[in-house]
Amino acid sequence: MSNVTVSNGRRPSPHIPKHFYTVLIVSLILLGASILASLAFGSRSVPFHDLIDGLFRPEVDTYEANIIRKRISRTVFSLFCGAALGVSGSLMQAVTRNPIADPSILGVNTGASLFVVCGMAFFGMTTASQYIWLAMLGAGLTAVFVFGIGSLGRGGATPIKLVLAGAATSAALSSLVTAILIPRSHVMDQFRFWQVGSVGAGTWNSVTTFVPFLLVGLLIGFLTSPALNALALGDEAAKGLGVKTGTLRLIAALAGVILCGAATALAGPIGFIGLLATHLVRLLVGADLRFVIPLSAVAGAVILTVSDIAGRLIGSPGELEVGVVTAFVGAPILIILAMRAKVRSL
Amino acid sequence: MKPTHTFKAEQVVAGYENKTVINGVDLTIPSNQISVIIGSNGCGKSTLLKALARLIKPTSGSITLDGKPIARYPSKQLARIVGLLPQSPIVPEGISVADLVGRGRFPHQSLLGGWSKKDYQAVAEAMDMMDITEFANHNIDELSGGQRQRVWIAMAMAQQTDILFLDEPTTFLDITYQIEILDLLTDLNRKHGTTIVMVLHDINLSARYADHIFALQEGRLIAEGTPTKVITSERVKDVFGLDCAVIPDPVSGSPMIVPKGRYHASEDLVSVT
Repeated sequence: MSNVTVSNGRRPSPHIPKHFYTVLIVSLILLGASILASLAFGSRSVPFHDLIDGLFRPEVDTYEANIIRKRISRTVFSLFCGAALGVSGSLMQAVTRNPIADPSILGVNTGASLFVVCGMAFFGMTTASQYIWLAMLGAGLTAVFVFGIGSLGRGGATPIKLVLAGAATSAALSSLVTAILIPRSHVMDQFRFWQVGSVGAGTWNSVTTFVPFLLVGLLIGFLTSPALNALALGDEAAKGLGVKTGTLRLIAALAGVILCGAATALAGPIGFIGLLATHLVRLLVGADLRFVIPLSAVAGAVILTVSDIAGRLIGSPGELEVGVVTAFVGAPILIILAMRAKVRSL
Repeated sequence: MKPTHTFKAEQVVAGYENKTVINGVDLTIPSNQISVIIGSNGCGKSTLLKALARLIKPTSGSITLDGKPIARYPSKQLARIVGLLPQSPIVPEGISVADLVGRGRFPHQSLLGGWSKKDYQAVAEAMDMMDITEFANHNIDELSGGQRQRVWIAMAMAQQTDILFLDEPTTFLDITYQIEILDLLTDLNRKHGTTIVMVLHDINLSARYADHIFALQEGRLIAEGTPTKVITSERVKDVFGLDCAVIPDPVSGSPMIVPKGRYHASEDLVSVT
């Protein structure tokens, strides 16, 4: 190989996006701020000294201090859930090369719901660690099904067709869920809270159940990101670069399903986080998935936690479940993206 | 200079779902040269290129690189020897020039290795050679069609393969940019010894830029060799069904076809065949 010198001496940097460090620092600051806010704010306002008591003085056993302690597990849980959903969205978008892929839009959440309901109704399951595998199975089957339907016909899986397939599947599965629930009032109560999507139930128990799935999903996400970068150039170009596209899609989609399935099993179906996090990050740092995927984890964590805080404040003295808040913010964004996607699909 | 390779196709039959497009092609790609596959629409040029570049699996026959079937190479290892630029690759939204060119380094990077000095160097060289270094941090959307194609070729070049397949690299470009791209590919061949195999539509440009031409008709290889040997008026009639005169290209001396239509033929002038 002959040696060609770079004419103007400026070293091109394909490795780190222009604003990466700024974005990283800002998002970490936001992450810290959202953690503090999540501890401090709630449907019941707690004075600052109680916050300190709850965090650093385990010997203090006041009502307020205990509220803070409960908020700690809730906050950790919402961070983890948000990270999982953010990365799940990034992975699904990369695998389908489709800008609107997100667990909720593809109906994957509803698939998980149906399986969870079956677990509750027919197998007497009551805890998340029992139905987490069912949720994952439901998520996986639905993802395959929706993508299969969406790919039928001319043009393959276009954004619009995927949305329609996802919506139709969601509707069908929801009615099945209802059909199973109606004659079973005891399951209905158990299901209702789970269904809306809430991190309020986040206990240390759910955190520890969640961690292994989160780690596996994130690890696969990080490791596949260079190959997913190649896949973004189209299947032919990716194969030319030595990517086994079928295997890659399977592994990355599996990671997406694990992340979304686990989050859904524990917190209920929370929509749009993957969509919001990934697009926000792409807007800021560009298309390189080696940066988009980790930053989507941070962004997802922040968005979900902030949405949870908002839900607590808006709903005070009760609470507005976080799934409702994210749907309110996410739906308009989805409409904007779908309109743009018509002009230019990924 | 790039090492010499033996890239051979034997009795290759290939196509898509029950439809055979390539019907028993035998060929050896001349190492370190520029080869061009020509033929009319639907004759299977792109399919042949895709089979050679392992995008589609031949239904029968064998394709070997240095004596070993290409299907038996680990995919990343093969991608360090054989590269491919598809006809219409996808531009991810919001991607920068340097990011796209850098993606050509994928087969050289390990799972956890990240970017090495060699990777940066390869990307810098490729961008320099394609004269796009000044756009390194620009969004691809800001570039013209010709500049974009240079970015894609730089991506393929950053892959630093010994053999490079290109599927119609000049389609959709103005004539000025077609010449520019073909000149740059010739640079790549002359400076680095990269073996180039491409599908081109334009017979005259093929004749000028190719060292070796493969002429396809209905999925079969009907002629191959130097442009002078392959491009004759009889053969153009056979392959493209076009009556034409073949004269020496006044610029390069390579054969040049002048199509004959039903009008505008002047008996006095058309005496060459």
